[in-house]
Amino acid sequence: MSASTIAVPPLMEAAPSPVAPARPGKGRPGEGRAAWILAIPFTLLFLAFTVWPVAQSLFMSFTDTRQKDLRTPFSVNFIGIDNYVRALSDPVFQRAAANTAYFVVVGVPLTLAVALLAAVALDKGITRFRAVFRLGFYTPVITSIVAVAVVWRFILQPDAGLLNTVLSWFGIQGPNWLGDVQWSMPSLILMAIWRNFGTGMIIFLAGLQAVPYSLQEAAAIDGANTWQRFWHITFPLLRPTLLFVSVTTAIGYLQFFEEPFVMTQGGPLNSTISMSMYTYNQFGYGNYGVATAMSYLIFVVIAAVTAIQFRLLREKA
Amino acid sequence: MRTPAIAAITVAAALAVTGCGRPAENPSAAPQTAATVAEGPATGELTIWAMGAEGQKLPDLLKDFEAANPGVKVTVTAIPWSAAHDKFTTAITAQKTPDMAMIGTTWMGEFAGLGALDPTPASIDKGAFFPGAWGTTEVGGTSYGIPWYVETRLVYYRTDLAKKAGITTPPSDWDGLKAMAKAMQDKAGTKWGINLQPGGTGSWQTVMPFAWSNGAQLNNGDQWTFDTPQMAEAVKYYQSFFTEGLTNKTPAQGATQEPTFVDGSEPMFISGPWMMSAVEKVGGKGFADKYSVFPMPVKEKSASFVGGSNLGVFKTTKNRDAAWKLVQWLAKPEVQVKWYQMSTDLPSVTSAWQDPALTADTKLATFGKQLETAVAPPSFATWEQVAARFDAEIEKVAKTGADVDASLKSVQAEAQSIGTGG
Repeated sequence: MSASTIAVPPLMEAAPSPVAPARPGKGRPGEGRAAWILAIPFTLLFLAFTVWPVAQSLFMSFTDTRQKDLRTPFSVNFIGIDNYVRALSDPVFQRAAANTAYFVVVGVPLTLAVALLAAVALDKGITRFRAVFRLGFYTPVITSIVAVAVVWRFILQPDAGLLNTVLSWFGIQGPNWLGDVQWSMPSLILMAIWRNFGTGMIIFLAGLQAVPYSLQEAAAIDGANTWQRFWHITFPLLRPTLLFVSVTTAIGYLQFFEEPFVMTQGGPLNSTISMSMYTYNQFGYGNYGVATAMSYLIFVVIAAVTAIQFRLLREKA
Repeated sequence: MRTPAIAAITVAAALAVTGCGRPAENPSAAPQTAATVAEGPATGELTIWAMGAEGQKLPDLLKDFEAANPGVKVTVTAIPWSAAHDKFTTAITAQKTPDMAMIGTTWMGEFAGLGALDPTPASIDKGAFFPGAWGTTEVGGTSYGIPWYVETRLVYYRTDLAKKAGITTPPSDWDGLKAMAKAMQDKAGTKWGINLQPGGTGSWQTVMPFAWSNGAQLNNGDQWTFDTPQMAEAVKYYQSFFTEGLTNKTPAQGATQEPTFVDGSEPMFISGPWMMSAVEKVGGKGFADKYSVFPMPVKEKSASFVGGSNLGVFKTTKNRDAAWKLVQWLAKPEVQVKWYQMSTDLPSVTSAWQDPALTADTKLATFGKQLETAVAPPSFATWEQVAARFDAEIEKVAKTGADVDASLKSVQAEAQSIGTGG
């Protein structure tokens, strides 16, 4: 430390910089005020539409607010963490949490795998009609969930559905997919993968096309086979893409709502009810306090899961 | 790092404001009395919200009202059922309600609890309506509107298959109903005896008629009463159809009763009057002669569920007199009959049922008879939430054969913790 201090030429310190930056607060008068005025529209909007709703909902989660209190939002009783305790000790909410975990733990890796597989196939394997396939795989993402639900109900219909008809050709008696406690969740996961892998595929495709061809070529010259090239060159370079897709997919899946809402209404026997859907029901019953507490619990879980993903998938230094 | 700080300050400020807490008194608790409605024809402008098919057809009916009251102009806003509840609560919170509206019977407790509805004036005669239907307008002893149209549930059965099963006169009691379902399976060779909803949204509407028939009640004052022996006996009876294999435990998701009723695999079901046109549409020509309806079977008495929609006037209306005059007009027997012919909504006014338009059809007349004893759930703001827990337990009882007493005990505990919203 001391050696380097000595090494600094004394002249440098004395010489005033020709473009010395003005110290903050001592600039031209009015500059700071102008900055504030320019920032006011954004600040006001931000305070009114971002900070205030967050603050109010957080406040609500600590009170016994019900629907009829909305006109007088502050004349409610502060009840501490009662809502959180009630949410966590509610057997249906616990069931919903377990269902959501099931959906995420099984659904996210499968969605990523299918998306990556489709992206690699489109990048390397399929050369003819590539645009057609890309569009085809992406179509479910942009299709209305209501239309999707109608079609999937037909597919999963127990007696005359497409899936069970095909299974019966092979002598397999298919289950009552949506009506069976064991099979209802796998059915929804299957549908969710089909519906969501298109987004991941498009992003993976972009990631794959960004892998420099020269690296592949160099590895090929060194004698690496296709699999080795994929595993040691393409896959590590895809890491940021993988992180992005896995974080966005996991966030989406942790909030999964539409699939049970349109397909099963959470049944049979609560086997497909999700945290978001149960929270939605609580809002519907007017229990705003408990419902906001549940929303914050979901938020905490999403934040934690995202943090874990960043830790596991971040760039190795 | 500044955002959390701002948020924290805002929260702290918000918490500071709430030091006051709830006002000690509940203003909606005391029974309210209504002001009288002025005489003479209605004048001014009125806005009315109506849901579904009613919203589409109401403007045609109201042309007569406008003709009879030249100074009035009524605007009907049709809103879809799926969005209606949110739209109402938002409007009530923002005090931007229409003058009057068609209101779902199960919403009365909630809207009246919000202080949004005007009490029914004394000039409207409650004796003109079916008592069960009138009950849906009453919240805490005060009536907030009138029943506009009603519906109730009956047992539908295939007459041709019943004949094959050796049944010519429909049963009238619980044992008879079950024996008939069994005979359908054994003698007429149908796949199932009867279609009953194995839990899920609204299944209480099929279970409660049996409970009411057995003398059970949902509430005693502001206490829930799910754990009574009468209730347990009724739910056990309901469960026995599933455990004895008379009823399908796992119907396909979203399946309706028409196809299986028409193909004969489920020759009986319990539902409302709209199913008449639905099964005749699927069954095709001549199917109307192959089925009939009979009243809910008797244990202590015959009871069914009464649904439908009410008409209410909002407190924020600027044209209260005209609004109540329109309500009164819509409750006239001849208008109710005309509305039945336009919409097939069943009249809530008993005298309208004397009209040949309704007496000509024997099936319809059976609905009219059942309406005299049909019952509605209490108008508590929390009923929908309690009903959802009840539906969930019915599902367990029907599908997994869960113990009825334990299930009802858990419904009772949850219902009591949810409360009656008073």
